[in-house]
Amino acid sequence: MKRVVVDPVTRIEGHLRVEVTVDEATGKVQDALSSGTAWRGIEIILKDRDPRDAWAFTQRFCGVCTTTHALASVRTVEDALGIEIPKNANYIRNQMASSLAVQDHLIHFYHLHALDWVSPVEALKADPGATASLQNAILAKYDLGLSGPFDFNTDAYPKEFPRATPAYFKAIQAKVKALVESGQLGIFAAHWWDHPDYSLLPPEVHLMAVTHYLTMLDRQRELVTGHVVYGGKNPHPQYIVGGMPCAISMNDMNAPINTARLGVVDVAVNLGISAVNYFYLPDLLAIGDIYVTKHKMVDGGGLAGKCVLGYGDYPEDSYTGIANGDFHKRLLLRCQGVVENFAAGVMAAKFTNLEGKDYVDPEIITENIEHSWYSYPQAGKALHPLAGVTAPNYTGPKEGTKTNWKYLDEKGKYSWIKTPMWRGKMAEVGPLARYIVTYVKVKQGLMQPTWAEKMIVDQIDGVSKVLGAPAHVWMCSTVGRTACRGLEAQVMAYINKYFFDKMIKNIRNGDTATANMSKFEPASWPKEAKGVGLHEAPRGALGHWIQIKNGLTANYQAVVPSTWNACPRDSKAGSGAYESSMIETKIKVADKPLEVLRVIHSFDPCIACATHLYDTEGNKKAVINSDPYINACGGCGS
Amino acid sequence: METRMTMWDSFSKRGLSRRTFLKTCTALTAMMGLPLTDRKKVVEAATKQPLPVVVWLHGHECTGCDEAFIRSQSPLASDLVLNMISLEYSDTLAAAAGEPFEKHLETVIKKYDGKFILAVEGGVPLADQGISCMVGGKPFVDVLKEVAKHAAAIIEYGSCAAWGGVQAAKPNPTGSVSVSKVISGKPIIKVPGCPPIPEVMTGVVMHLALFGQIPPLDAQGRPKQFYGNRIHDTCYRRSFFDAGMFAERFDDAGSKAGWCLYKLGCRGPEAYNACGNLRWWNGLSYPIQSGSPCFACGSDGFWDNGPFHERLPNVVLPNTLTNADKIGAGLTVAAMAGVTVHAVISSVQKARHAKNESEHDEE
Repeated sequence: MKRVVVDPVTRIEGHLRVEVTVDEATGKVQDALSSGTAWRGIEIILKDRDPRDAWAFTQRFCGVCTTTHALASVRTVEDALGIEIPKNANYIRNQMASSLAVQDHLIHFYHLHALDWVSPVEALKADPGATASLQNAILAKYDLGLSGPFDFNTDAYPKEFPRATPAYFKAIQAKVKALVESGQLGIFAAHWWDHPDYSLLPPEVHLMAVTHYLTMLDRQRELVTGHVVYGGKNPHPQYIVGGMPCAISMNDMNAPINTARLGVVDVAVNLGISAVNYFYLPDLLAIGDIYVTKHKMVDGGGLAGKCVLGYGDYPEDSYTGIANGDFHKRLLLRCQGVVENFAAGVMAAKFTNLEGKDYVDPEIITENIEHSWYSYPQAGKALHPLAGVTAPNYTGPKEGTKTNWKYLDEKGKYSWIKTPMWRGKMAEVGPLARYIVTYVKVKQGLMQPTWAEKMIVDQIDGVSKVLGAPAHVWMCSTVGRTACRGLEAQVMAYINKYFFDKMIKNIRNGDTATANMSKFEPASWPKEAKGVGLHEAPRGALGHWIQIKNGLTANYQAVVPSTWNACPRDSKAGSGAYESSMIETKIKVADKPLEVLRVIHSFDPCIACATHLYDTEGNKKAVINSDPYINACGGCGS
Repeated sequence: METRMTMWDSFSKRGLSRRTFLKTCTALTAMMGLPLTDRKKVVEAATKQPLPVVVWLHGHECTGCDEAFIRSQSPLASDLVLNMISLEYSDTLAAAAGEPFEKHLETVIKKYDGKFILAVEGGVPLADQGISCMVGGKPFVDVLKEVAKHAAAIIEYGSCAAWGGVQAAKPNPTGSVSVSKVISGKPIIKVPGCPPIPEVMTGVVMHLALFGQIPPLDAQGRPKQFYGNRIHDTCYRRSFFDAGMFAERFDDAGSKAGWCLYKLGCRGPEAYNACGNLRWWNGLSYPIQSGSPCFACGSDGFWDNGPFHERLPNVVLPNTLTNADKIGAGLTVAAMAGVTVHAVISSVQKARHAKNESEHDEE
């Protein structure tokens, strides 16, 4: 038995450490722990500030899923104050969120995750001519033939398309060779390139994927051009409570948004569709197909087959509130709810709804700290985010010192991340969770699908056919988690187009409003208010909660996707998503646990904050408390 | 070091012509804001200087600065990371993880002792021995100190590294501070912004790569090329400020017409940054152009200068000469007051600028 530590886990957002205990003879993981090793305390900082500024602070939880926390935050404050935003503001926010999802998923696949599957060293063995043929073959084979709706089809031809010429691949290969031979590998240095899994794919797949790594490194910026037009910058575009600051006018040449500016966005929207359809999806499915059909690698499912959770998102039009249930009546993606036991098949799975007032019910969503570096006043009693307490209680490692760890203590406290639960159970969140919930709701006849939901179901059925395996088999795995993220990027690219078109039609009808300022001034607010803001961020279900008193933020809480997935264990509820997925993953070489990196990366980690400043009576605790920030990102969708 | 390729070597190895190389140098000259007559210097630098080794550490941050860095269009991220620098340690982009990655860091800082550039993203938490940010089982502050000892120069990327950042806002629960509060005795370049403009981030590295020296800095340690003016000085809405034409409320007629956002809280008059001239996405926009007031996200302590949408009179104003109430009062009384206030600010700025110049000339 060998205990292997990976710290830092790289190619993620934030500071994450994992420790696995491996049986070297069988490769079986006996135990695994996931630890968020940093916290920043942003929710404490939010206290007593203007709630209209909260989006700017929470946006800085994470710069990778930049925008997601700003969106959740303005929604929270608007829910608390009863502000209904104009249609255009909703359309613009949805475009920003969906274009971020496309860019974030794509960058995750090529720049954070690909090197778990693909090696520049293997690419050197490829035949450039055969790589060109492979490129052509996969474009044909992995076209699922799906598309979203178009009201204004402005794209004459795909502006970005993979080059399939031997000379091109030869040039890239020469560059990779020069890099490897220089001995200065830069970002490719010191990795386990001799791991046997790098020989699972033919060399031509490696060369093609490395080529696209470079292409997309330079193109990804253009996918979020809309953020720069609507929000002035990226990362961290600008918002306002009540709508969006980018006023629309076709009468003013200095207007933030006019036809010329929309033309810039239009090009970026179309590029997103091309990048996903011709690069991301074919590459992903080519790799996934080889892993699943040829090598039968469908491990790493963890919680996916047991319990997944979603909040739903993308309101079609304005809504009056979230806690009042109106938000959930108007969604394009109704993945809200929990699915248990999907591993038994889509029809055997159990669905439970999660809507409106459920989000403020103290019994439904709670957080516990049994294995987190905090203490609660009543040991063992989990608390709702709005009633939470966070008093730090750093206990150090099991072996080593406070400032020089050897091994963390799996029997005691070992993470700055808390343990969120749904009705006392652990749940996985993220693209895979959204896909499972949507698939189950549609297949069991619990809802009539919208176009986006139908596209999701068609994608899942299409991939099941390609892989020759039923959905619940391939989806509940490392490959499935990564595949659903790519499929979702395709849906998001079309959602971006859909809301762009809706906005154009709305402006055409004479509506140019972007902000509802009727309740912007604190004088118009009630003395006390509470609100919840939800968003399906790239990494999963994101919730923010606020209490406003006398015009200031009295308490602010965020329970972010990576908190759900990366959380430490609980003696009653068991292991969280990261830990249970690692336990279900076989390790070939104990001291080179590439499989651990791969399964952890399949979640796209981005560790987040959840701060709890007050006790249940609202009294300030004497101790400074904080939140698990796992690095930066909170949630990033984290 | 002597085995490292120069930019010209890497171009020749790729089979690119001298002509292409020279064209690239021309583009870089322009990008770095230098007169074209300086092209000769750029060519000389790119031919002779070896590619610099860069080590990039992460403390209390959000990775937004890495994301900004790879959004750079000129130079493109791939060209920069693969051909212009040797990025030997970056936990966002590196393939390796865990122990071999940490060992690689140890090797690199010894092999290039005193010769590599250390880029730091994020604040440095000091409370309780720094246990609120642990990397490889050790407090980030310990790792930073060890690596910095061996570095030739340090870049503080973003407002967290430069000033402490969002986590250092009151009450600063983790005791987070800037890199320069912890490290001394090394040249430090501040590149603040939340995040900085992509081409500002890459421009600083390019300057080091091409000229082998630190770009000229202002009194606060920021490159003058990018932080020498206030956003207000080059804002495309400046004429509306001078004419006293202001948006009074988001989405009103003034907002739609693109008038000055000063009354909606714009910090442009106190923000030293490149948004007004470089803008984001090579000239596409910046917050003000998109209708949002500037927060001065590159300024020290800007997080404690809220509420962001209230105009300057109600906030603490660092860096200004005149009292904020006077600015506001002046503006409400007469549009012309704007011109006057501006003239005062400008003249003070001019004086400060001249002072900075002389300070640096002495160095």
